[in-house]
Amino acid sequence: MPSRTFWRTVRRSLLQAILLGAAICVAAPARAATVELFAPRPFGYFLGDVITLEAAVTLDPGFKLEPGSLPRPRPVTYWLDLRSADLTELPAVHGARRYRLLLSYQTFYAPLETRGLDIPAVPLTARDGDQVLNLSVPSWNFAASPLRSLVAGGAANPMALQPDIAPLPHPLRADLRRVAGATAVGLASILGLAILRGWGPFGRLRPPFSAAARDIRRILAAPSAEAYSKALLRLHRAFDAAAGHRLFADDVPAFLAGCPHLATEADIMAHFFHASRIAFFGKGADAAMVEMTPDALLSLARRLAVAERKGAARPVAAPTQREATA
Amino acid sequence: MKWVARAWSTKWPIRRLADLTLATLVVAALGVLAALGARIGWHAMENRTIAALAEGRDVPVPETAAPRLLLARAHFLMVRDRLDEAQPFVDRLARADQTELAVAALYDLANARLARAISHLEQTQIDPAIPLVRLAKAGYRAALVRDPGFWDAKYNLDIAMRLIRDFPQIEQEEHDDAQETPKRLWTDLPGLPRGLP
Repeated sequence: MPSRTFWRTVRRSLLQAILLGAAICVAAPARAATVELFAPRPFGYFLGDVITLEAAVTLDPGFKLEPGSLPRPRPVTYWLDLRSADLTELPAVHGARRYRLLLSYQTFYAPLETRGLDIPAVPLTARDGDQVLNLSVPSWNFAASPLRSLVAGGAANPMALQPDIAPLPHPLRADLRRVAGATAVGLASILGLAILRGWGPFGRLRPPFSAAARDIRRILAAPSAEAYSKALLRLHRAFDAAAGHRLFADDVPAFLAGCPHLATEADIMAHFFHASRIAFFGKGADAAMVEMTPDALLSLARRLAVAERKGAARPVAAPTQREATA
Repeated sequence: MKWVARAWSTKWPIRRLADLTLATLVVAALGVLAALGARIGWHAMENRTIAALAEGRDVPVPETAAPRLLLARAHFLMVRDRLDEAQPFVDRLARADQTELAVAALYDLANARLARAISHLEQTQIDPAIPLVRLAKAGYRAALVRDPGFWDAKYNLDIAMRLIRDFPQIEQEEHDDAQETPKRLWTDLPGLPRGLP
């Protein structure tokens, strides 16, 4: 049978429970702010190790974390350094500000045996106008381990230090590799330029009339009979190169049959061979200049160059067309 | 060489553009080569000095020299027990932005100090050993702050820590001071009314 004291105790606990419930109901809206600690493994740390604690801070709507209340990087205790404290603001939820606080510590505790250590709590202050809210990142306990055995065993000298870092010379290999790369790029570019501009042995690769037009323009820059004969000869060499053999006036029809894209210039080509005959086998260069002016000669060379380019472009374009229709 | 003919048949502005690009590339490659050549030459010269120091020749090095050269000189001095002469080089390296070399300098100097302290202790000379161990610990710690994953420094710091352990009390006071300083700054501000009539 329950005694009187028992009933008194029951009544008192009931009363306490009701009061506590009421207190929770009243306090709940004001205590929505939370600090949640995400910590790494709490064991297996040696001296010099870095420990990064992450705290998620959620505030009540309207409150804002005081930036001045953040801890500055400093030695926290004689064995613990705070390396950095980074605060990132996360997107707010229903007007409540959220933050992520990263606290990076470095421990310099040299335990003789595995031992628990405390990273102290970090106080934070949030403010909404005059209202001040004091929060704190909770303290965190971890186990620090010794690096060496307590009692020296065997013949090894316990005071033997790890060796120095020897000074090393500048590493040159990376730079030498860069030199090789730059040289390769430079040489490739020079090769490309040589092909494009027809330098040295690549001059032969250039279409003959295109090269001749360029040369003739240069030769005719000095207007003289001698230059004119030179220009004539240059165009003759271009015809020879295009035909693949020495080309005379009589061979022109046969040559044109092989190169139909040049056929449009047939008349003026005949004119050129005529002028050339006058210059070299007739009255001389001066008379030939009357027959065909230097300007006309240059324009012939240029038109041949254009025709030749079009002729070269056509065989390249043709197969793609055929593929398209097939 | 059909592609060459094709290159010739492209239109004038494209060819001009290709020409310009290639010319620019040639000039750029030449510039890079000149810069690299200068740097390689400079480094090779410094490497000769570093090699001479490593061989044990007492080559002077100005304090404004390249960090690598400073480290070589500082190491030369440390190995020969001229720690006070090595200190300015190490200080300079610690301020330089090349972490790797700064760590090496701090660690090597701490090693030299700890080794000397241990040799003092072996002859039971306690008093000269104490400041050396303290400085060595500070050196290892500075190296570990710069490179937390440096195991050799951890190991040697552990040796130093067992010779002289850190004392919580002394450091605790310093810590308290640091926290109170801002408050004192404010109360010391001039111009605050002090209740005079």
